[in-house]
Amino acid sequence: MKKIAIDRRRFIKITTLGSGGLVLGFTLPGFSRAAGPVPCDHFQPNAFIRIDKAGQVTIFVGKQEMGQGVNTSLPMIVAEELEVDFQKVKEEIAPFGSLSKDAHDTGGSQSVTGSWEELRKAGAVAKAMLVAAAAKKWGVDPGICKAENGMVINAVTGQTLSYGELACDAAGIPVPTEVKLKNIRDFRIVGKEQRKKNLKDMLTGRAKYGMDLVIPGMFYAVVERCPVLGGSVISVDDKEALTVPGVVKVVTYAGTGKPMHMRAGVAVLATNTWAALKARKLLKIKWNEGDRNKENTEQLFKIFAARAAELPQNTVHTIGDTGVVTATKSRTLTAEYAAPFLAHAMMEPLNFIAQVKDGQCELWGGLQLPDWTVDTIAKECSLERNNIKVNLALMGGAFGRRLMCDFALEAVKIAQQTDKPVKVIWDRTDDIRNDNYRPANYHRMQAKWDDQGALQSWEHHVLSTPISWMTDGTDIKDVSENLGGAHKDFWYAVPNVKTTYSPVDFNLHRGWLRGVEPVQNVFAVECFIDEVARKLKKDPLQYRLSLLEGRAPFTAYWEKTVEPERLAGVLKLAAEKIGWNQKRKKNHFLGIAGHMFFCDSYAAHAIEIELLAPKKFRLVKIVARIDCGLVINPDGLKNQMEGGTVFGLGQVLKNEITVENSRVVQDGFNNFELARYSDVPEIEIHTVKSEAKPGGVGEVGVATVSPALCNALAAAGQRPRSLPIKNEGFTWV
Amino acid sequence: MNSCHKIILVNLPTKHFLMPAYTLTINGIQHTVDAEPDMPLLWVLRDLLQMTGTKFGCGVASCGACTVLADGQAVRSCVWQVQNAQNVKITTVEGLSEDGTHPVQKAWESVGVPQCGYCQAGQMMTLAGLLNKYKQPTEEQITNAMSAVLCRCGTYHRIRKAVQMAVEESANK
Repeated sequence: MKKIAIDRRRFIKITTLGSGGLVLGFTLPGFSRAAGPVPCDHFQPNAFIRIDKAGQVTIFVGKQEMGQGVNTSLPMIVAEELEVDFQKVKEEIAPFGSLSKDAHDTGGSQSVTGSWEELRKAGAVAKAMLVAAAAKKWGVDPGICKAENGMVINAVTGQTLSYGELACDAAGIPVPTEVKLKNIRDFRIVGKEQRKKNLKDMLTGRAKYGMDLVIPGMFYAVVERCPVLGGSVISVDDKEALTVPGVVKVVTYAGTGKPMHMRAGVAVLATNTWAALKARKLLKIKWNEGDRNKENTEQLFKIFAARAAELPQNTVHTIGDTGVVTATKSRTLTAEYAAPFLAHAMMEPLNFIAQVKDGQCELWGGLQLPDWTVDTIAKECSLERNNIKVNLALMGGAFGRRLMCDFALEAVKIAQQTDKPVKVIWDRTDDIRNDNYRPANYHRMQAKWDDQGALQSWEHHVLSTPISWMTDGTDIKDVSENLGGAHKDFWYAVPNVKTTYSPVDFNLHRGWLRGVEPVQNVFAVECFIDEVARKLKKDPLQYRLSLLEGRAPFTAYWEKTVEPERLAGVLKLAAEKIGWNQKRKKNHFLGIAGHMFFCDSYAAHAIEIELLAPKKFRLVKIVARIDCGLVINPDGLKNQMEGGTVFGLGQVLKNEITVENSRVVQDGFNNFELARYSDVPEIEIHTVKSEAKPGGVGEVGVATVSPALCNALAAAGQRPRSLPIKNEGFTWV
Repeated sequence: MNSCHKIILVNLPTKHFLMPAYTLTINGIQHTVDAEPDMPLLWVLRDLLQMTGTKFGCGVASCGACTVLADGQAVRSCVWQVQNAQNVKITTVEGLSEDGTHPVQKAWESVGVPQCGYCQAGQMMTLAGLLNKYKQPTEEQITNAMSAVLCRCGTYHRIRKAVQMAVEESANK
């Protein structure tokens, strides 16, 4: 095959695909169009794909990898349309700024759902240009050429040209405005199990997380933060701290208000982490704690309980009129459920590197919302947005913690007080005590049925400490704490429904934790429907199905469609796999729960327990069934569902943050207890074969674990109604 | 700290102490580091030697992310002071094998254990240490060892599969 050497000016194409108005254009920071003639060495038709002359294909991942597998699933989608060997594809983090604003954002289980179409087109566009380049060389119609395994083949002559050989020719081909996508039935990569692209690096210690980055000359910093949110520093005595060998400097900065609520802090800068940690203990700081330093969670839950039966503050969703439904006491059921504040506690503690010099700011670290971070830092640190450069890093877990950027803002505040780069490291106590916590929440449920046992009324009063009050202020009425079966998405067919919401203020920062509102509300909804079924002496599975099957799809919030039949489907299949209708061993009991998550996915958990004593049990088996539409990477999906199941298990069994005097009581893994190896029984994940648009899988596996286990315990005789169940005296082996 | 260092120390400005030097054998290679005697091995590895495969997770031996081998036995490097780490053969995840083919790494790869991967060095080093101690550990010994290492992504189900695979290979040797 001929060698191609064409000197041509490399340029960046900015293009719009005619069909969907999709922008595949990109800009590379630091790259100037006027750079002058450079020899062509690669083909980069858009922000996602680069093919060099040697044929190496690199796929840039626009979403942030934190364990959820986007560094594998997203390249799979591109590689599928591009027709390349996935094993030979390299993946890299798409440099910040190479995509349009907010396109790097990662959260809400949206990465696959939101990028699916764009990534397919990106791959198809590149493939079309490579085919066109080959056809031009051969002087044939592109229609007789096809792409396969990194090559273009002339179907008539059998001639081939590799993508590497075509790279520079393809770079000169006009970007097509319309491309044909593959039939999903012809997929060879998508839908087949693929191991994580960075698997080997993770197993040999080569993978570099934000925590592992070293910038030459940087200082290491640890921070003593104000113990009470909203407080400030009065004075610092750092004499003793400065005597610790390796310590360079102690700096102070003020906290910020909404939306980040970064706490005021005193930072110790040193030449190594240990020196900074040691010196921090020697700081003598006087804090002004403000007047909200006496709040505690015991009191908060008393307020919740008192207000639950009172008139709710906001009405969120109604069907019919629950007010006109009358029922005797024997045809009414009322129950209340509670769940605590929770911390994210990812294994990689927060860390961030910042350098500020001459008005230029450079950042290194893992972020879920890098554009929000840059906007926030520009505003809070009086920097020009365009002068902030971000280097994104691999994350050792995030679970929503790195949506907020208080930790990055803090690093910049510190870096503004030295001319060296500063790496701020949080220890585990910093992490557990200075989180933005999953809100504490409380639910009052009431159901009424007629003399035939048909459900007539369903009322759900949600009480919570809203996230929106922290991000937007307490004058915000439109809180979103009702997603997950407590809003327009409520999936059971009941003629009269009313959901209400009462916000309660509390001096602790709140944020989004994996599974967000559905985790809170599904617990109440899926326990209560079970209670109603049991009260009516009906099988809890059959009772749910009777309220789902035959119900037509309907539109919920955000124009989302809820398909009750798909939910019925996962419930039935989970039940079948756990042996719902089979004879069970003595003292073995089953519980089930299902839900629709707002990323267009449906999941159900069925759990089998063995009761050993009235409040002592053994987890025998957990089965999860998920319908997320078309599956991209079955291995990644299973890993996410297994992980989601364990995440949920931690919440039902142990996870809890409590507050005394506006201070978080827990300070590490010894008292903020996570699920462990010994807690996890056999887990089976089953998927549903589907050609529906792919949904998200990062969060859908969490919510139904708690209600399924509580329903199993109810079947065994005792129903817990508050989480974690260890507080109600339950123990497990 | 030897007396020589003490004398020099007195004459130095406060911010430029000369720290004692320690010679460590890590993955078969000798390294000499200047460190405070109480600096945990974790920070010696990470900050002074820039060997970042060993992870910081809690600093108080409550999560296991920092596990390394000391003469083949699993140790939490975040609470192991450098002054006690001399004359011991230290193995980190980077040195568990030359090319990622230690039976534990192979099992982890075969099962596809990690999600974020941050805790996995600690998970693998814990099991490698256990298999050095017992060729055929009992179920109880496995559960005790592995339950002390946390994984927030919740990969325990896969860890269990990989453990079984590695233990079988160890037993068949």
